[in-house]
Amino acid sequence: MIRRVLIANRGEIARRVIRTCREMGLTSIAVYSDADAGAPHVREADEAVAIGPAPSTESYLNVARVVDAARGGRADAVHPGYGFLSENPAFADACEAAGLVFVGPPAAVMRRMGSKTGARALVSAAGVPVVPGVTPASQTERDITAAAASVGFPVLLKAARGGGGKGMRTVRSAADLAEAIGAARREAERSFGDGSLYVERLVDRPRHIEVQIFADAHGGLVHLFERDCTLQRRHQKVIEEAPAPGLTPAARDRLTGAALAAARAVGYVNAGTVEFLVEGDGDDARFYFLEMNMRLQVEHPITEAITSVDLVRAQLLVASGERLPFSQGDLAIRGHAIECRVYAEDSRRLLPQSGRIVRYREPGGPGIRVDAGVVAGQTVTVHYDPLLAKLITHGASRAEALQRMRQAVREYEILGLRHNLAFLRTVLDRDEVRTARVWTTFLEEKLEALVPAPSTETRRAAAAFAAFAATREPAPAVDVTDDAAGARHVDPWDQLGPVAW
Amino acid sequence: MPTRLRLEGDGGDWIVEVSGHTVTLAGEPPLTVREDAGGGLHLDAATPAANGIAALDGDTAWVSIDGEVFAFRVARGARRGGKSPTRDHDALSPPMSATVVRVLVKPGDHVRQGDPLVALEAMKMELPIRAPRDAVVAAIRCEEGQLVQPGQPLVELEP
Repeated sequence: MIRRVLIANRGEIARRVIRTCREMGLTSIAVYSDADAGAPHVREADEAVAIGPAPSTESYLNVARVVDAARGGRADAVHPGYGFLSENPAFADACEAAGLVFVGPPAAVMRRMGSKTGARALVSAAGVPVVPGVTPASQTERDITAAAASVGFPVLLKAARGGGGKGMRTVRSAADLAEAIGAARREAERSFGDGSLYVERLVDRPRHIEVQIFADAHGGLVHLFERDCTLQRRHQKVIEEAPAPGLTPAARDRLTGAALAAARAVGYVNAGTVEFLVEGDGDDARFYFLEMNMRLQVEHPITEAITSVDLVRAQLLVASGERLPFSQGDLAIRGHAIECRVYAEDSRRLLPQSGRIVRYREPGGPGIRVDAGVVAGQTVTVHYDPLLAKLITHGASRAEALQRMRQAVREYEILGLRHNLAFLRTVLDRDEVRTARVWTTFLEEKLEALVPAPSTETRRAAAAFAAFAATREPAPAVDVTDDAAGARHVDPWDQLGPVAW
Repeated sequence: MPTRLRLEGDGGDWIVEVSGHTVTLAGEPPLTVREDAGGGLHLDAATPAANGIAALDGDTAWVSIDGEVFAFRVARGARRGGKSPTRDHDALSPPMSATVVRVLVKPGDHVRQGDPLVALEAMKMELPIRAPRDAVVAAIRCEEGQLVQPGQPLVELEP
């Protein structure tokens, strides 16, 4: 059994993994860059190891430094979180060579599924439908242009190895291709060290629905239902929910069946997600395999909310060689859950933001969970992804979860940098969101309406408050929800009812 | 003795007098700001009533009203302050600290409105700086790999 877990990540996901390590009585070891020396994950872990300068290529993305930190810290396992090295087979190999258990699928599986082309061929052979697309063998602009023409516009350019929307571009006509190829290639090179592009037919107005699967090394394989992640911007998910609204039981059976077939075909082990694009409604909804994410997902808490499973705990058990702690028959959908990603961003100009958080207060109440990467007084730097926190609500019905989310977004206080709480509020109030009639480019198409200019009255009030605050004694950064302030610490698991495993 | 302030930011530019809880925006009737025990601010008499939070960080006052964020550069006295860090930035300087990943034009190039001039990377995202109008590139003020800051001109255009 694993005893000492090094968490090769930062922010909210590092804190999330530390929490479960604590609950399981495992020692957690954080790693941190110079920019994160004062970050909450460092303080909350049992031990912490510095791994280098702020740029992630010299710290969180540096295989040798992370493995050295694990060795030096006498870790016996490494949890990679998401992003960074989580889907890097060379990192999984390096862990194994150093005698460390990598909490994730085997490196061979990552290699097989890490290339979009390889993954498509594999799952396609297993009977899973795929969207037409190709990775041109020659990656010249001319050959990519020819590939786009053969696939048919509109097309999506993607990094051949990669995910998370990095290096992804929608191109509606041949005239826009050249600029998109350059930008996508550079992003792909920087994010994944490989600028190869994949050209795919864009399915118009689809929904993005993904299936959480879980496998152990003894042949056990289950799904934990689906998540609908249709509300995205720049291919970054913004709001996710589980289960997918309107998905009929028959369509769910076909979708989860396809996800299990894909996982089986590749010999998957541990937590994974099979992403699909879905077109149409009812029992006849058509779906196409997009890609497989071979790690814990950002949006895993909504699955935890509706199934009462701690996915990180299951990951650590399976990585220790144990059997899955649940069978398919144990799993059922309980209620509905929604997650909003709170980003440091200027929603009008679609720009990530940095700054110091001078006031911070999380919402609370039944069915509310906040997985935050920040605390009051912390500086959000330009070095890492702009995700500040994930706000998750759970209710008996979709309407209840949505109403709780509206209230929670209203209660959430973050001061000191621009963020997307007002944008989220506007989105949650939209009729299309209430009735779940949305598609993957909905937020981009409706952007103007979703970031309304504040009224004169609001601007006047803002000026009055600013002037009042400027003449008051400067207050120290206040974390109103901090334990020291006397607030009750609410463990998210308290709110999910009894945990069965 | 009231304090005179000049505010500049995305909530507008204002000259304000503050005396305790009384805040007067130039040319308007005075407003009364009430502060609750949790630090929440309220304009009860305003129409419509407004509730928010605010804090000063250096010379920037941050305000949030219903999640909508406003940032004001605060200057004491009524003299004109420096250029606000939160106004619409000149399109030819970076909106935040960023790394130049590619310079896409050279001096003498004719560019059309919307053409990408410089590709920046910040927080793992590539952000193009685009031409605000049809123009000729007069000079390039940055190089690839350079870390650049808000307000720093990257490209000069003429006319």
